[in-house]
Amino acid sequence: MSKGVLLFARNNSQVDYLKQAYWLAKRVDQYLGLPTSVITDNEDYLKDNFPDYESVFDNVIVTEYTNGFTLKRYYDGALTQKRLEFKNDTRPLAYDLTPYDETLLLDTDVVIADSIFNECFSQSNDFLIYKRAYDLAQFRDYTEFDYISDTSVDFYWATCVFFRKTSENKIFFDLLQHIQENWQHYNSIFQINSSVYRNDHAFSIAIHIMNGYQKGDFAGKMPGKLFYTTDKDELVELTDNSFMFLIEKEHHAGEYNVIRFKQNTVHVMNKFSLNRIIDKELAND
Amino acid sequence: MTKGYVMLAQNSEHDYVKQACLCAMSLHATNSDPKITLITNDVVPEEYVSLFDSIVEIPWNDQAAKSDWKVENRWKIYHASPYEETIVLDTDMLVLQDISSWWNFLSNYDLYFTSKVFTYRDEEVHDTVYRKAFIANNLPNLYSGFHYFKKGETAHEFYRWLELVMNNWELFYGQYVKEHYPKRPSIDVSAAIVAKILDCDTEITNSKVKYPSFTHMKPLIQGWTHNTETWQGRVGTYLTSNLKLTIGNHTQQGIFHYTEKDFVTDKIMNIYKKHLGL
Repeated sequence: MSKGVLLFARNNSQVDYLKQAYWLAKRVDQYLGLPTSVITDNEDYLKDNFPDYESVFDNVIVTEYTNGFTLKRYYDGALTQKRLEFKNDTRPLAYDLTPYDETLLLDTDVVIADSIFNECFSQSNDFLIYKRAYDLAQFRDYTEFDYISDTSVDFYWATCVFFRKTSENKIFFDLLQHIQENWQHYNSIFQINSSVYRNDHAFSIAIHIMNGYQKGDFAGKMPGKLFYTTDKDELVELTDNSFMFLIEKEHHAGEYNVIRFKQNTVHVMNKFSLNRIIDKELAND
Repeated sequence: MTKGYVMLAQNSEHDYVKQACLCAMSLHATNSDPKITLITNDVVPEEYVSLFDSIVEIPWNDQAAKSDWKVENRWKIYHASPYEETIVLDTDMLVLQDISSWWNFLSNYDLYFTSKVFTYRDEEVHDTVYRKAFIANNLPNLYSGFHYFKKGETAHEFYRWLELVMNNWELFYGQYVKEHYPKRPSIDVSAAIVAKILDCDTEITNSKVKYPSFTHMKPLIQGWTHNTETWQGRVGTYLTSNLKLTIGNHTQQGIFHYTEKDFVTDKIMNIYKKHLGL
Protein backbone atom coordinates (compact mmCIF):
# COMPACT_ATOMS: atom_id res chain seq x y z
CA MET A 1 0.00 0.00 0.00
CA SER A 2 1.50 3.32 -1.02
CA LYS A 3 1.16 6.14 1.44
CA GLY A 4 1.91 9.81 1.45
CA VAL A 5 0.84 13.37 2.13
CA LEU A 6 -1.19 15.40 -0.33
CA LEU A 7 -1.20 19.20 -0.42
CA PHE A 8 -3.19 21.66 -2.49
CA ALA A 9 -1.26 24.84 -3.27
CA ARG A 10 -2.73 27.52 -5.51
CA ASN A 11 -1.33 30.97 -5.02
CA ASN A 12 -3.33 34.16 -5.00
CA SER A 13 -1.92 37.62 -5.52
CA GLN A 14 -0.37 37.84 -2.05
CA VAL A 15 -0.21 34.44 -0.40
CA ASP A 16 2.39 32.00 -1.61
CA TYR A 17 0.83 28.64 -0.86
CA LEU A 18 3.43 26.87 -2.99
CA LYS A 19 6.18 28.13 -0.73
CA GLN A 20 4.24 26.81 2.26
CA ALA A 21 3.82 23.46 0.52
CA TYR A 22 7.50 23.25 -0.36
CA TRP A 23 8.47 24.02 3.21
CA LEU A 24 5.84 21.73 4.71
CA ALA A 25 6.94 18.82 2.50
CA LYS A 26 10.37 19.05 4.08
CA ARG A 27 8.85 18.95 7.55
CA VAL A 28 6.66 16.00 6.56
CA ASP A 29 9.79 14.13 5.56
CA GLN A 30 11.53 15.15 8.77
CA TYR A 31 8.75 14.31 11.23
CA LEU A 32 6.66 11.69 9.45
CA GLY A 33 9.12 10.14 6.99
CA LEU A 34 6.48 10.28 4.28
CA PRO A 35 6.58 11.46 0.66
CA THR A 36 4.54 14.52 -0.27
CA SER A 37 2.68 15.25 -3.49
CA VAL A 38 1.46 18.71 -4.34
CA ILE A 39 -1.47 19.71 -6.52
CA THR A 40 -1.04 23.11 -8.10
CA ASP A 41 -2.23 25.21 -10.99
CA ASN A 42 1.16 26.89 -11.46
CA GLU A 43 4.01 24.47 -11.99
CA ASP A 44 6.12 27.14 -13.68
CA TYR A 45 6.21 29.20 -10.50
CA LEU A 46 7.37 26.15 -8.63
CA LYS A 47 10.14 25.46 -11.16
CA ASP A 48 11.28 29.08 -11.20
CA ASN A 49 11.37 29.59 -7.46
CA PHE A 50 12.24 26.22 -6.00
CA PRO A 51 14.88 24.62 -8.23
CA ASP A 52 15.16 21.52 -6.04
CA TYR A 53 11.40 20.96 -5.96
CA GLU A 54 11.69 17.54 -7.63
CA SER A 55 13.72 16.26 -4.72
CA VAL A 56 11.25 17.73 -2.22
CA PHE A 57 8.01 16.56 -3.83
CA ASP A 58 7.20 12.99 -4.71
CA ASN A 59 4.78 14.19 -7.42
CA VAL A 60 3.68 17.52 -8.79
CA ILE A 61 0.13 17.20 -10.06
CA VAL A 62 -0.99 20.04 -12.27
CA THR A 63 -4.57 21.23 -12.50
CA GLU A 64 -5.94 23.84 -14.84
CA TYR A 65 -5.30 27.45 -13.87
CA THR A 66 -8.47 29.21 -12.88
CA ASN A 67 -9.31 32.45 -11.19
CA GLY A 68 -10.39 32.59 -7.58
CA PHE A 69 -13.48 30.69 -6.61
CA THR A 70 -14.24 32.77 -3.54
CA LEU A 71 -13.07 35.90 -1.82
CA LYS A 72 -11.90 35.68 1.74
CA ARG A 73 -10.76 38.13 4.39
CA TYR A 74 -7.20 37.39 5.44
CA TYR A 75 -5.94 38.93 8.67
CA ASP A 76 -2.31 39.48 9.50
CA GLY A 77 -2.63 40.05 13.21
CA ALA A 78 -5.63 41.69 14.79
CA LEU A 79 -5.39 45.03 13.00
CA THR A 80 -4.50 44.28 9.39
CA GLN A 81 -6.75 42.61 6.89
CA LYS A 82 -6.95 42.03 3.17
CA ARG A 83 -9.65 40.62 0.94
CA LEU A 84 -8.09 38.12 -1.41
CA GLU A 85 -8.95 35.28 -3.72
CA PHE A 86 -9.19 31.89 -2.10
CA LYS A 87 -8.80 29.00 -4.51
CA ASN A 88 -10.24 26.23 -2.41
CA ASP A 89 -12.50 24.53 -4.92
CA THR A 90 -10.26 21.64 -5.97
CA ARG A 91 -9.97 19.90 -2.63
CA PRO A 92 -12.90 17.59 -3.42
CA LEU A 93 -10.69 16.17 -6.20
CA ALA A 94 -8.27 14.77 -3.64
CA TYR A 95 -9.48 11.21 -4.05
CA ASP A 96 -9.19 11.27 -7.84
CA LEU A 97 -5.83 13.02 -7.90
CA THR A 98 -3.91 11.40 -5.07
CA PRO A 99 -1.22 8.98 -6.18
CA TYR A 100 -1.43 7.11 -2.87
CA ASP A 101 -3.52 4.23 -1.56
CA GLU A 102 -3.42 5.88 1.85
CA THR A 103 -3.44 9.67 1.84
CA LEU A 104 -2.96 12.25 4.52
CA LEU A 105 -4.50 15.42 3.13
CA LEU A 106 -3.23 18.58 4.82
CA ASP A 107 -3.65 22.31 4.53
CA THR A 108 -0.34 23.93 3.67
CA ASP A 109 -0.51 26.04 6.85
CA VAL A 110 -0.41 23.01 9.11
CA VAL A 111 2.99 23.11 10.74
CA ILE A 112 4.06 19.58 11.50
CA ALA A 113 5.99 19.35 14.74
CA ASP A 114 5.47 15.76 15.84
CA SER A 115 4.90 12.31 14.39
CA ILE A 116 1.33 11.82 15.60
CA PHE A 117 -0.09 11.60 12.06
CA ASN A 118 1.81 8.37 11.46
CA GLU A 119 -0.82 6.69 13.62
CA CYS A 120 -3.35 7.22 10.82
CA PHE A 121 -1.66 4.56 8.75
CA SER A 122 -1.67 1.88 11.43
CA GLN A 123 -5.33 2.07 12.43
CA SER A 124 -8.30 0.45 10.72
CA ASN A 125 -10.72 3.32 10.00
CA ASP A 126 -10.61 4.30 6.32
CA PHE A 127 -11.58 7.93 6.87
CA LEU A 128 -10.36 10.19 9.65
CA ILE A 129 -11.01 13.84 10.37
CA TYR A 130 -11.03 16.16 13.37
CA LYS A 131 -14.34 17.18 14.82
CA ARG A 132 -12.79 19.35 17.49
CA ALA A 133 -9.82 21.67 17.39
CA TYR A 134 -8.17 23.62 20.17
CA ASP A 135 -7.53 27.34 19.95
CA LEU A 136 -4.36 28.36 21.75
CA ALA A 137 -6.02 31.65 22.68
CA GLN A 138 -8.74 29.86 24.67
CA PHE A 139 -11.06 32.85 25.01
CA ARG A 140 -12.60 33.18 21.57
CA ASP A 141 -16.11 32.14 20.66
CA TYR A 142 -15.94 28.58 19.38
CA THR A 143 -19.63 27.97 18.77
CA GLU A 144 -19.13 28.32 15.01
CA PHE A 145 -17.02 25.17 15.22
CA ASP A 146 -19.66 23.07 16.97
CA TYR A 147 -22.06 23.09 14.04
CA ILE A 148 -21.80 24.55 10.57
CA SER A 149 -24.59 26.88 11.66
CA ASP A 150 -26.72 27.22 14.77
CA THR A 151 -29.40 24.79 13.61
CA SER A 152 -27.37 22.65 11.25
CA VAL A 153 -25.05 19.67 11.32
CA ASP A 154 -21.83 18.87 13.17
CA PHE A 155 -18.75 20.82 12.13
CA TYR A 156 -15.64 18.95 10.94
CA TRP A 157 -12.25 20.40 10.09
CA ALA A 158 -11.14 19.67 6.54
CA THR A 159 -7.66 20.86 7.55
CA CYS A 160 -6.28 17.37 8.14
CA VAL A 161 -7.99 14.36 6.61
CA PHE A 162 -6.82 10.80 6.24
CA PHE A 163 -8.42 8.48 3.69
CA ARG A 164 -7.79 5.19 2.00
CA LYS A 165 -8.84 4.38 -1.53
CA THR A 166 -12.06 2.51 -0.90
CA SER A 167 -15.34 2.46 -2.74
CA GLU A 168 -17.02 4.18 0.19
CA ASN A 169 -14.48 7.00 0.17
CA LYS A 170 -14.89 7.32 -3.60
CA ILE A 171 -18.59 7.94 -2.97
CA PHE A 172 -17.72 10.45 -0.28
CA PHE A 173 -15.43 12.49 -2.54
CA ASP A 174 -17.86 12.29 -5.46
CA LEU A 175 -20.49 13.62 -3.09
CA LEU A 176 -18.12 16.41 -2.07
CA GLN A 177 -17.71 17.39 -5.70
CA HIS A 178 -21.47 17.39 -6.11
CA ILE A 179 -21.89 19.60 -3.04
CA GLN A 180 -19.23 21.98 -4.26
CA GLU A 181 -20.77 22.19 -7.75
CA ASN A 182 -24.19 22.88 -6.23
CA TRP A 183 -22.99 25.01 -3.37
CA GLN A 184 -25.80 27.55 -3.38
CA HIS A 185 -28.33 24.78 -2.97
CA TYR A 186 -26.52 23.06 -0.10
CA ASN A 187 -25.71 26.40 1.46
CA SER A 188 -29.43 27.03 1.64
CA ILE A 189 -30.60 23.55 2.62
CA PHE A 190 -28.06 23.32 5.44
CA GLN A 191 -28.83 26.83 6.74
CA ILE A 192 -25.31 28.17 6.31
CA ASN A 193 -25.60 31.89 6.60
CA SER A 194 -22.73 32.67 4.28
CA SER A 195 -22.54 32.12 0.56
CA VAL A 196 -18.75 31.71 0.68
CA TYR A 197 -17.78 28.15 -0.13
CA ARG A 198 -15.81 26.56 2.67
CA ASN A 199 -14.32 23.08 2.57
CA ASP A 200 -14.99 22.55 6.28
CA HIS A 201 -18.69 23.02 5.59
CA ALA A 202 -18.73 20.83 2.49
CA PHE A 203 -16.90 18.03 4.30
CA SER A 204 -19.28 18.36 7.25
CA ILE A 205 -22.33 18.13 5.02
CA ALA A 206 -20.93 15.16 3.13
CA ILE A 207 -20.11 13.32 6.36
CA HIS A 208 -23.64 13.95 7.61
CA ILE A 209 -25.10 12.59 4.39
CA MET A 210 -22.80 9.56 4.46
CA ASN A 211 -24.15 8.89 7.95
CA GLY A 212 -27.70 8.85 6.62
CA TYR A 213 -28.57 12.37 7.81
CA GLN A 214 -27.93 11.41 11.41
CA LYS A 215 -25.05 10.75 13.76
CA GLY A 216 -22.95 7.85 12.57
CA ASP A 217 -19.53 6.34 12.33
CA PHE A 218 -18.46 7.12 8.78
CA ALA A 219 -15.75 9.47 10.02
CA GLY A 220 -13.24 8.37 12.63
CA LYS A 221 -11.22 10.81 14.68
CA MET A 222 -7.75 11.86 13.60
CA PRO A 223 -5.09 10.95 16.17
CA GLY A 224 -4.08 13.47 18.81
CA LYS A 225 -5.42 16.99 18.97
CA LEU A 226 -5.58 19.69 16.35
CA PHE A 227 -4.26 22.93 17.82
CA TYR A 228 -4.66 26.18 15.97
CA THR A 229 -4.02 29.89 16.05
CA THR A 230 -6.17 32.24 14.01
CA ASP A 231 -5.02 34.83 11.52
CA LYS A 232 -5.48 37.46 14.22
CA ASP A 233 -2.51 35.89 16.00
CA GLU A 234 1.07 35.82 14.73
CA LEU A 235 3.71 33.17 14.59
CA VAL A 236 6.88 35.08 15.39
CA GLU A 237 9.42 32.35 15.98
CA LEU A 238 9.83 28.69 15.11
CA THR A 239 12.81 26.60 16.05
CA ASP A 240 12.43 22.97 15.02
CA ASN A 241 9.29 21.98 16.94
CA SER A 242 9.14 24.95 19.28
CA PHE A 243 6.76 27.80 18.44
CA MET A 244 6.43 31.29 19.79
CA PHE A 245 3.13 33.00 19.05
CA LEU A 246 1.67 36.40 19.71
CA ILE A 247 -1.92 35.62 20.62
CA GLU A 248 -4.41 38.47 20.48
CA LYS A 249 -5.62 39.74 23.84
CA GLU A 250 -9.25 39.59 24.69
CA HIS A 251 -10.91 43.03 24.50
CA HIS A 252 -7.61 44.69 23.57
CA ALA A 253 -7.32 44.76 19.81
CA GLY A 254 -3.73 45.05 18.69
CA GLU A 255 -2.30 43.80 21.97
CA TYR A 256 -0.95 40.30 22.34
CA ASN A 257 0.13 37.66 24.81
CA VAL A 258 3.25 35.65 24.13
CA ILE A 259 2.72 31.91 24.10
CA ARG A 260 5.37 29.27 23.68
CA PHE A 261 4.24 25.90 22.43
CA LYS A 262 6.25 22.87 21.48
CA GLN A 263 6.20 19.29 20.23
CA ASN A 264 2.69 19.50 18.81
CA THR A 265 1.51 20.15 15.29
CA VAL A 266 -0.26 23.50 14.93
CA HIS A 267 -2.59 24.87 12.26
CA VAL A 268 -1.23 28.39 11.77
CA MET A 269 -3.95 30.37 10.04
CA ASN A 270 -2.03 33.61 9.71
CA LYS A 271 -0.49 32.88 6.31
CA PHE A 272 1.52 36.08 6.22
CA SER A 273 3.28 35.45 9.51
CA LEU A 274 3.86 31.83 8.52
CA ASN A 275 5.42 32.93 5.26
CA ARG A 276 7.68 35.38 7.07
CA ILE A 277 8.93 32.50 9.20
CA ILE A 278 9.40 30.34 6.12
CA ASP A 279 11.27 33.13 4.31
CA LYS A 280 13.61 33.45 7.25
CA GLU A 281 14.23 29.72 7.37
CA LEU A 282 14.71 29.32 3.61
CA ALA A 283 17.13 32.24 3.60
CA ASN A 284 19.24 30.42 6.15
CA ASP A 285 19.23 27.15 4.17
CA MET B 1 -49.02 -10.75 30.30
CA THR B 2 -51.07 -8.27 28.31
CA LYS B 3 -49.11 -5.32 27.01
CA GLY B 4 -50.30 -2.06 25.56
CA TYR B 5 -49.87 1.65 25.11
CA VAL B 6 -52.05 4.12 26.94
CA MET B 7 -52.66 7.79 26.31
CA LEU B 8 -54.88 10.25 28.09
CA ALA B 9 -56.47 13.00 26.01
CA GLN B 10 -58.70 15.83 27.11
CA ASN B 11 -59.53 18.47 24.58
CA SER B 12 -59.33 22.12 25.53
CA GLU B 13 -58.68 24.82 22.97
CA HIS B 14 -56.31 22.20 21.61
CA ASP B 15 -57.39 18.94 20.05
CA TYR B 16 -55.50 16.37 22.10
CA VAL B 17 -57.67 13.56 20.78
CA LYS B 18 -56.43 14.33 17.29
CA GLN B 19 -52.87 14.18 18.59
CA ALA B 20 -53.61 10.83 20.19
CA CYS B 21 -55.01 9.56 16.88
CA LEU B 22 -51.84 10.65 15.09
CA CYS B 23 -49.69 8.98 17.74
CA ALA B 24 -51.77 5.82 17.41
CA MET B 25 -51.34 5.89 13.63
CA SER B 26 -47.58 6.22 14.08
CA LEU B 27 -47.59 3.21 16.40
CA HIS B 28 -49.55 1.13 13.91
CA ALA B 29 -47.24 2.18 11.09
CA THR B 30 -44.10 1.03 12.85
CA ASN B 31 -45.09 -1.68 15.33
CA SER B 32 -46.78 -4.99 14.77
CA ASP B 33 -50.36 -5.02 16.02
CA PRO B 34 -49.91 -2.60 18.92
CA LYS B 35 -52.62 -2.57 21.57
CA ILE B 36 -53.55 1.01 22.31
CA THR B 37 -56.01 2.41 24.81
CA LEU B 38 -57.17 5.97 24.79
CA ILE B 39 -58.55 7.43 27.98
CA THR B 40 -60.82 10.30 27.10
CA ASN B 41 -64.23 11.80 27.68
CA ASP B 42 -64.14 13.42 24.25
CA VAL B 43 -65.47 12.05 21.04
CA VAL B 44 -63.01 10.13 18.87
CA PRO B 45 -63.73 10.65 15.16
CA GLU B 46 -65.16 7.50 13.64
CA GLU B 47 -62.36 7.08 11.13
CA TYR B 48 -59.82 6.70 13.95
CA VAL B 49 -61.74 4.47 16.32
CA SER B 50 -60.28 1.29 14.84
CA LEU B 51 -56.78 2.43 15.82
CA PHE B 52 -57.61 1.77 19.44
CA ASP B 53 -57.92 -1.48 21.24
CA SER B 54 -60.20 0.30 23.67
CA ILE B 55 -61.44 3.79 24.39
CA VAL B 56 -62.31 4.31 28.02
CA GLU B 57 -63.71 7.17 29.99
CA ILE B 58 -61.67 9.01 32.56
CA PRO B 59 -62.39 7.22 35.83
CA TRP B 60 -64.32 8.95 38.53
CA ASN B 61 -64.99 12.63 38.06
CA ASP B 62 -63.06 14.94 35.76
CA GLN B 63 -60.61 16.78 37.98
CA ALA B 64 -59.30 18.83 35.06
CA ALA B 65 -62.63 20.27 33.97
CA LYS B 66 -61.58 23.80 34.90
CA SER B 67 -57.92 23.44 34.00
CA ASP B 68 -56.10 24.56 30.87
CA TRP B 69 -53.26 22.09 31.19
CA LYS B 70 -55.37 19.00 31.80
CA VAL B 71 -52.84 17.11 33.85
CA GLU B 72 -54.95 16.59 36.96
CA ASN B 73 -56.27 13.24 35.78
CA ARG B 74 -52.94 11.75 34.83
CA TRP B 75 -52.60 9.75 38.03
CA LYS B 76 -55.66 7.75 36.98
CA ILE B 77 -53.85 6.12 34.07
CA TYR B 78 -52.67 3.29 36.28
CA HIS B 79 -56.22 2.48 37.27
CA ALA B 80 -57.70 2.88 33.80
CA SER B 81 -55.13 0.87 31.90
CA PRO B 82 -56.55 -2.51 30.87
CA TYR B 83 -53.06 -3.98 30.48
CA GLU B 84 -50.80 -5.79 32.89
CA GLU B 85 -47.84 -3.95 31.36
CA THR B 86 -48.36 -0.43 30.11
CA ILE B 87 -46.30 2.12 28.24
CA VAL B 88 -47.73 5.57 28.81
CA LEU B 89 -47.21 8.09 26.04
CA ASP B 90 -47.95 11.77 25.83
CA THR B 91 -50.37 12.41 23.00
CA ASP B 92 -48.02 14.81 21.23
CA MET B 93 -45.59 12.10 20.21
CA LEU B 94 -44.81 10.19 17.04
CA VAL B 95 -43.41 6.70 17.22
CA LEU B 96 -40.99 6.42 14.32
CA GLN B 97 -39.59 2.94 14.70
CA ASP B 98 -40.39 -0.52 15.96
CA ILE B 99 -40.02 -0.24 19.73
CA SER B 100 -41.21 -3.74 20.53
CA SER B 101 -37.74 -4.67 21.83
CA TRP B 102 -38.11 -1.97 24.48
CA TRP B 103 -40.71 -4.13 26.19
CA ASN B 104 -38.02 -6.72 26.94
CA PHE B 105 -35.88 -4.11 28.64
CA LEU B 106 -38.81 -2.60 30.51
CA SER B 107 -40.01 -5.97 31.80
CA ASN B 108 -37.03 -5.86 34.18
CA TYR B 109 -38.71 -3.03 36.00
CA ASP B 110 -41.96 -2.55 37.89
CA LEU B 111 -41.96 1.08 36.94
CA TYR B 112 -39.68 2.93 34.56
CA PHE B 113 -39.29 6.59 33.67
CA THR B 114 -37.01 8.04 31.08
CA SER B 115 -34.42 10.32 32.65
CA LYS B 116 -32.50 11.19 29.49
CA VAL B 117 -33.98 12.90 26.48
CA PHE B 118 -32.40 14.00 23.24
CA THR B 119 -32.40 16.89 20.81
CA TYR B 120 -33.36 16.59 17.16
CA ARG B 121 -29.60 16.25 16.52
CA ASP B 122 -29.60 13.18 18.76
CA GLU B 123 -27.61 14.86 21.48
CA GLU B 124 -28.44 14.38 25.12
CA VAL B 125 -30.34 17.27 26.60
CA HIS B 126 -28.87 18.96 29.65
CA ASP B 127 -31.88 21.05 30.48
CA THR B 128 -31.17 24.03 32.66
CA VAL B 129 -34.07 26.01 31.22
CA TYR B 130 -37.24 24.05 31.75
CA ARG B 131 -35.87 21.96 34.62
CA LYS B 132 -34.79 24.73 36.98
CA ALA B 133 -37.09 23.40 39.70
CA PHE B 134 -35.61 19.91 39.39
CA ILE B 135 -32.06 21.17 39.64
CA ALA B 136 -32.63 23.69 42.42
CA ASN B 137 -34.60 21.23 44.57
CA ASN B 138 -32.53 18.18 43.75
CA LEU B 139 -35.46 16.27 42.29
CA PRO B 140 -34.92 13.16 40.16
CA ASN B 141 -34.89 14.12 36.49
CA LEU B 142 -37.85 12.03 35.38
CA TYR B 143 -39.82 12.49 32.18
CA SER B 144 -43.32 11.07 32.39
CA GLY B 145 -43.94 11.69 28.68
CA PHE B 146 -42.75 8.14 28.20
CA HIS B 147 -43.02 5.78 31.12
CA TYR B 148 -43.84 2.20 31.88
CA PHE B 149 -45.49 0.31 34.67
CA LYS B 150 -46.28 -3.25 35.49
CA LYS B 151 -49.45 -3.71 37.53
CA GLY B 152 -48.42 -4.70 41.01
CA GLU B 153 -47.63 -3.44 44.43
CA THR B 154 -44.71 -1.19 43.48
CA ALA B 155 -46.43 0.70 40.69
CA HIS B 156 -49.68 0.83 42.62
CA GLU B 157 -47.97 2.44 45.58
CA PHE B 158 -46.24 4.91 43.32
CA TYR B 159 -49.48 5.92 41.67
CA ARG B 160 -51.31 6.17 45.00
CA TRP B 161 -48.66 8.65 46.06
CA LEU B 162 -48.94 10.40 42.73
CA GLU B 163 -52.66 10.80 43.34
CA LEU B 164 -51.94 12.30 46.73
CA VAL B 165 -49.32 14.71 45.41
CA MET B 166 -51.38 15.78 42.39
CA ASN B 167 -54.47 16.36 44.50
CA ASN B 168 -52.52 18.35 47.07
CA TRP B 169 -49.88 19.77 44.80
CA GLU B 170 -49.57 23.17 46.52
CA LEU B 171 -48.85 21.48 49.83
CA PHE B 172 -46.27 19.08 48.40
CA TYR B 173 -44.65 21.61 46.09
CA GLY B 174 -44.34 23.96 49.08
CA GLN B 175 -42.37 21.25 50.82
CA TYR B 176 -40.32 19.79 47.95
CA VAL B 177 -40.13 22.56 45.32
CA LYS B 178 -39.34 25.64 47.33
CA GLU B 179 -37.02 27.01 44.66
CA HIS B 180 -38.67 27.87 41.32
CA TYR B 181 -42.05 26.95 42.74
CA PRO B 182 -44.29 26.00 39.78
CA LYS B 183 -47.40 28.02 39.03
CA ARG B 184 -49.44 24.96 38.22
CA PRO B 185 -49.30 21.22 38.85
CA SER B 186 -46.92 19.28 36.67
CA ILE B 187 -46.94 15.54 36.20
CA ASP B 188 -43.15 15.47 35.84
CA VAL B 189 -42.59 17.44 39.05
CA SER B 190 -45.17 15.38 40.89
CA ALA B 191 -43.63 12.09 39.75
CA ALA B 192 -40.21 13.35 40.81
CA ILE B 193 -41.56 14.24 44.27
CA VAL B 194 -43.06 10.79 44.63
CA ALA B 195 -39.76 9.21 43.61
CA LYS B 196 -38.05 11.31 46.23
CA ILE B 197 -40.55 10.43 48.92
CA LEU B 198 -40.26 6.73 48.13
CA ASP B 199 -36.51 7.04 47.57
CA CYS B 200 -36.87 4.84 44.54
CA ASP B 201 -35.42 6.87 41.66
CA THR B 202 -32.53 4.46 41.08
CA GLU B 203 -35.05 1.61 40.81
CA ILE B 204 -37.33 3.31 38.33
CA THR B 205 -34.85 4.71 35.84
CA ASN B 206 -31.45 3.90 34.37
CA SER B 207 -29.09 6.70 33.52
CA LYS B 208 -26.69 4.37 31.72
CA VAL B 209 -28.94 3.45 28.82
CA LYS B 210 -29.86 5.60 25.87
CA TYR B 211 -33.19 3.93 25.18
CA PRO B 212 -36.05 3.91 26.04
CA SER B 213 -36.20 7.64 25.56
CA PHE B 214 -37.53 10.28 23.23
CA THR B 215 -36.55 13.33 21.24
CA HIS B 216 -37.78 16.33 23.17
CA MET B 217 -38.57 19.29 20.93
CA LYS B 218 -38.96 22.07 23.44
CA PRO B 219 -37.21 24.91 21.62
CA LEU B 220 -34.80 26.14 24.28
CA ILE B 221 -33.08 22.79 24.78
CA GLN B 222 -32.05 22.14 21.19
CA GLY B 223 -28.49 23.40 21.68
CA TRP B 224 -29.10 26.60 19.75
CA THR B 225 -27.25 29.75 20.70
CA HIS B 226 -30.07 31.93 19.39
CA ASN B 227 -33.25 31.49 21.38
CA THR B 228 -36.53 31.04 19.67
CA GLU B 229 -40.17 30.81 20.67
CA THR B 230 -40.90 27.78 18.53
CA TRP B 231 -38.63 25.13 17.13
CA GLN B 232 -40.70 25.11 13.97
CA GLY B 233 -39.60 28.68 13.43
CA ARG B 234 -35.99 27.54 13.17
CA VAL B 235 -35.99 24.20 11.39
CA GLY B 236 -38.22 22.64 8.79
CA THR B 237 -40.28 19.46 9.05
CA TYR B 238 -40.25 16.96 6.21
CA LEU B 239 -42.34 13.80 6.33
CA THR B 240 -42.11 11.48 3.34
CA SER B 241 -44.85 9.19 2.13
CA ASN B 242 -42.97 6.27 3.65
CA LEU B 243 -43.02 8.10 6.99
CA LYS B 244 -39.39 9.11 7.18
CA LEU B 245 -39.32 12.22 9.33
CA THR B 246 -36.55 14.76 8.91
CA ILE B 247 -36.20 17.82 11.11
CA GLY B 248 -33.81 20.37 9.69
CA ASN B 249 -31.25 18.06 8.13
CA HIS B 250 -31.62 15.31 10.69
CA THR B 251 -33.43 12.05 10.19
CA GLN B 252 -35.47 11.22 13.26
CA GLN B 253 -35.88 7.88 14.92
CA GLY B 254 -37.32 6.49 18.13
CA ILE B 255 -40.06 8.61 19.64
CA PHE B 256 -40.48 12.21 18.56
CA HIS B 257 -42.11 14.51 21.13
CA TYR B 258 -43.08 17.48 18.99
CA THR B 259 -44.61 19.56 21.84
CA GLU B 260 -46.00 22.28 19.55
CA LYS B 261 -49.69 21.86 18.84
CA ASP B 262 -49.61 23.25 15.32
CA PHE B 263 -47.19 20.52 14.29
CA VAL B 264 -50.28 18.40 13.62
CA THR B 265 -51.47 19.46 10.19
CA ASP B 266 -53.93 17.88 7.80
CA LYS B 267 -50.96 17.10 5.56
CA ILE B 268 -49.26 15.01 8.24
CA MET B 269 -52.52 13.32 9.23
CA ASN B 270 -53.21 12.48 5.59
CA ILE B 271 -49.75 11.00 5.01
CA TYR B 272 -50.32 8.61 7.90
CA LYS B 273 -53.90 7.86 6.89
CA LYS B 274 -52.83 7.08 3.37
CA HIS B 275 -50.02 4.87 4.59
CA LEU B 276 -52.40 2.89 6.81
CA GLY B 277 -55.22 2.87 4.28
CA LEU B 278 -57.61 4.68 6.59
